[in-house]
Amino acid sequence: MNWRIRALKKSPWVFHVNTGACNNCDIEIVDLLTPRFDVERFGIKLVGSPRHADALLVTGGVTAQAAPRLREVYRQTPKPCVVFAIGACACDKGIFTTGYHMVGPVDKIIKEIDPNAIIAYVPGCPPKPEAMISGIVKALSAL
Amino acid sequence: MTQEELNNKLSGIKDKVTKIDKMSETRIYLYCESENSYAVNKFLFEEVPLRFVIATGIDSDDCFEVLYHYSDDETGCIVTAKAFIRDRENPIIESIAPFLPGADWAERETHDVLGIEFKNHPDMRRLILSDDWPEGVYPLRKDAEKPGKRLGGDPAKRPVDQAKCPARRTIRLSKPIVPIGPSHPLQEEMEYFQLSVEGEIVTDIDMRLSYNHRGIEKISESLQFDQVPFLISRICGICSASHPLAYVQAVEELAGVTPPERALYVRTIINELERIHSHVLWLGLAGHFIGYDTVFMWAWKYREPILDLLEEITGNRNNYGNVKIGGCREDIPNELKPRILKDMDETERKMDMLIKAVLDDPVLHVRLKGVGILTKADAIRYAVTGPTARASGLPIDVRRDDPYATYADLNWNVITRPEGDVFAKAVVRLLEVLESIKIIRQAVEKLPDGPIAVEVKEIPAGEAVGRVEAPRGETFHYVRSDGGNRPVRHKVRAPSYVNVPSFKASCIGESIPDVTITLAAVDPCYSCTERLAVADKNSRITHDYEALLRLSRDETDRIREEIGSQHLKLEDS
Repeated sequence: MNWRIRALKKSPWVFHVNTGACNNCDIEIVDLLTPRFDVERFGIKLVGSPRHADALLVTGGVTAQAAPRLREVYRQTPKPCVVFAIGACACDKGIFTTGYHMVGPVDKIIKEIDPNAIIAYVPGCPPKPEAMISGIVKALSAL
Repeated sequence: MTQEELNNKLSGIKDKVTKIDKMSETRIYLYCESENSYAVNKFLFEEVPLRFVIATGIDSDDCFEVLYHYSDDETGCIVTAKAFIRDRENPIIESIAPFLPGADWAERETHDVLGIEFKNHPDMRRLILSDDWPEGVYPLRKDAEKPGKRLGGDPAKRPVDQAKCPARRTIRLSKPIVPIGPSHPLQEEMEYFQLSVEGEIVTDIDMRLSYNHRGIEKISESLQFDQVPFLISRICGICSASHPLAYVQAVEELAGVTPPERALYVRTIINELERIHSHVLWLGLAGHFIGYDTVFMWAWKYREPILDLLEEITGNRNNYGNVKIGGCREDIPNELKPRILKDMDETERKMDMLIKAVLDDPVLHVRLKGVGILTKADAIRYAVTGPTARASGLPIDVRRDDPYATYADLNWNVITRPEGDVFAKAVVRLLEVLESIKIIRQAVEKLPDGPIAVEVKEIPAGEAVGRVEAPRGETFHYVRSDGGNRPVRHKVRAPSYVNVPSFKASCIGESIPDVTITLAAVDPCYSCTERLAVADKNSRITHDYEALLRLSRDETDRIREEIGSQHLKLEDS
């Protein structure tokens, strides 16, 4: 196994990007850190800069104004970096598919600048915190 | 002011309006031509006086309409001034923002989506459409969409003219500025704040929206009436009970339907549970920002049982989708009543502890009192709502002023504080949680038996408004129907839309660490503070999110030390 991938799987540090979500996925992500779920037990930590991130948690279906910022944040992450599309909107724009201001979904925007990006999907509106933990475990064990 | 006095006062502007239409006792429409709109609005805001709610632009077949909605909070009456712009080619109307800063954003947005020019508007930059959105394409015009073509063209082929980016255009390098955002690492949406600073003191603040603009009002026009609640519960995940309720109340008013009593009680309980979870969530994040992570963890821990209750009733922790036209989708089973009451007792105990821990802390008193003051006069000028208004001494609450669901039958209080600072906002929210617990207890005990929905067959043509007191303030929905299956226009005004511009009044003159908590105190954007860079004239210092958080926390530590030493001195003497 590539040592980079092996290192990535231990204590993944995550960075959260909201690209036009309704806050539901976002408060559930913060909920992961608080006493009931407390993912910091597993070394999963929310960091304040994309340069420290092993994984991006992207929520929202990517609005026209947010798309360039998402690309920029992805560029700043050290590679390899796993992109998690959290929630129905991030996976396929969800209920906002027909919106004129939506240019997503997340995988399309990320693949424009990095065709080999590793993208994992956690569907749900919003996904329950358990689903997010399960998604992260599944994605990391598949690497 | 009583209803009669209001009617008498409104007749004072008779010569400027073409018609006064009373849809019902509490819904009054004034029709006027665009030339008279300025005079009518000035009269309504300054002479009557009424609280400004929002402006709605509509593309009617042969003209444009701009609707200015006002609320009289003593009678619960909504007065709408409807101005007609007959010239479709060159739609111009006089701006009311010069005397009513609360209308600033509403007019900019109307200009963005409908292309109506507002004469004499102080700041006509783009507000909600993206930097690369083509000029001259107005998404809410009925003829905007061409069959087979994407509205606004292919986003990949749109040229980005950096010089036209509204946020960047305002940067004057002669003054140090602190850009906040647009990407926030911790949570919440993208937003862009630009603070001009002199040393530590903020001298001006500018904002850019659009990062979160999803075009919900346009999507809503393509959905059927009963599908819309699912869309609008996703406007904001934390207010996902309030928005659909406001919309459903508007449609029920149109259709002339009254839902069964049990449904009204279920709505009350769900909305109050939502208020508790939202206020406790805010308390946790506010604690996080000033360095009280214990409060953050406690608050979020005690919020979990509320989410469990909501999941038990509606099937989801957030995005309940429980309200529908004519009633509710899911009932509260009678077996669940004892558990709700038990959870309320438990939550009350925990909240008592939290309230004591927060409000009796001498450090917090020094840290938060007198910080970010929004005076009563500014609160009126910026037309703020919710806890932001109540903490500035404005006793407005839709639940009392224009009662819906079953609030009129229950016994509870509107919490107000006169100070207007961050501490007052915290006190209002904390005490409101206790009021919500009181409301839920009464509602559960009074919950009558019976059906939870009535069938609604047809939505007739017409227009109606619905409003609900969401955790952050009044959420306002305007719906117009032409008798078909879908709304022709659906306007949404979320509470933060009027609360956020009030930063202009509350943040200027504060130091940067205090601005962090002042921005958070309004509760739209706890995390506006991330990825922060201080650009100086000569050198470039970068403050990231953590640095700003550190600044804010150091301030708390400094105060703690100061107070600690004072205490010691007192003991010595």
